[in-house]
Amino acid sequence: MPILAINNVYKTFGGGVAALNNVSLQVKEGEAVAIIGSSGSGKSTLLRCVNNLERVTAGEIVIDGDVLVTTTPGGVVQYPPDKEIRRITTKTGMVFQHFNLFAHLTCLENITFAPIKILGQSRQQSLQKAHELLEVVGLSSKANNYPDQLSGGQQQRIAIARALAMDPQIMLFDEPTSALDPEITNEVTGVILKLVQQKITMLIVTHDMRFARSAATRLIYMDEGKIVEQGPPEQLFENPQSPRLKEFLSSYQ
Amino acid sequence: MDFGYIQTILPALLQGTVQTLKIFVFTLLFSLPLGLPIAFGTMSRIAPIKLLSKAYVWVFRGTPLMLQIFFFYYYIPIFTPIKIDRLPAAVFTFVLNYAAYFAEIYRAGIQSVGRGQREAAKSLGFSYWQTMRMVVIPQAIRQIIPPVSNEVITLIKDTALVYVIGVPELMKAARDANNRDVNPMAYLIAAIIYLLLTFVFTLLSQWLEKRYSRHERTDAV
Repeated sequence: MPILAINNVYKTFGGGVAALNNVSLQVKEGEAVAIIGSSGSGKSTLLRCVNNLERVTAGEIVIDGDVLVTTTPGGVVQYPPDKEIRRITTKTGMVFQHFNLFAHLTCLENITFAPIKILGQSRQQSLQKAHELLEVVGLSSKANNYPDQLSGGQQQRIAIARALAMDPQIMLFDEPTSALDPEITNEVTGVILKLVQQKITMLIVTHDMRFARSAATRLIYMDEGKIVEQGPPEQLFENPQSPRLKEFLSSYQ
Repeated sequence: MDFGYIQTILPALLQGTVQTLKIFVFTLLFSLPLGLPIAFGTMSRIAPIKLLSKAYVWVFRGTPLMLQIFFFYYYIPIFTPIKIDRLPAAVFTFVLNYAAYFAEIYRAGIQSVGRGQREAAKSLGFSYWQTMRMVVIPQAIRQIIPPVSNEVITLIKDTALVYVIGVPELMKAARDANNRDVNPMAYLIAAIIYLLLTFVFTLLSQWLEKRYSRHERTDAV
């Protein structure tokens, strides 16, 4: 059973713009799937639908066997009650382009916040895990600093630790390095590559081709709300089949 | 300076100050919390609630406070069976009026907290109200303190308006003394008392502001 199954998902925004146009995608345990594509191709929207930050217009999303949304043959989109939605989406860990660390909490508190409030972990239990995660992202020394006192790269590493603290079944990265200066993207991609080696299941949306190539076990190219091509990264980069992917890659040479 | 004269008017002025503080404290006690549901009302997705809340804010901010004081004091006993005293009528009006201002301050403060903070909380499994209580409001407080302090200081001075319905507060005590003795000393002392009160609340708001800005950058990295 895949950890994440996206079946025939459509998303149309107000004004009739089709962001997702019949997208189907399965992510198996231990896979690192990277999605590339130009801005507006729908890749971020797909991630946000998986995490219920956006609601689908039609289709089905199943996370770890739990149905987040399904659509009847008559076209009625069915979401479970809010509480059940929250239980299901908590199985995903989201990392945002702009980090979105809680500004009023220290780094340590950012990491222990949801495990204590949402999972009901004890303070001690969550602290122990938080310190382990701070070590993983290499920021143990910043535990008691506020996000505002950290660089962008450091904030993003804390954000990764915060998402991991919830023990998600799958990590979702929404352009994790796009808001960073080029010279510090490595400190973030380094952490993510480490997670790939640990076989943590993930779905990454990125504009960083070098990172996509090194991190992904499978690469997906999206354009105009559709999956155009997918396969092992080497195959897509070295032998792209569709003219659109060829054109897209040539713009990155 | 005629200290003998000051001594004769001071007791009445201090009694007036007690009344002023009563209006002030009771108004804050009720209007500060009342502003919150109205603020959420103005941001509600349910159209009638939103419309009603916005209309409330519009009416109470859009008409003179003095008019509202007259209206509630003279017309509540006419249109309802409720008999209302001067002081409670004044406090009632102030509560409704200040809640409208506080609601707008709260709304602006809440909306100043970025969408990213709410999305992060949602993605971690927080419900809407949990997100408000644990993420948005703690951050909004920092934004809210300065404008709330402003209103609080305005309120100290606005209490003087209730002399129009004869509440024996500081302003009325000063006016009575002046009218009786044709001596501006009462006004001068009243001014000093108002200044002392506003000074205390200015200090308090500065302390609160400092307390709630802990998370802001203190040293560059």
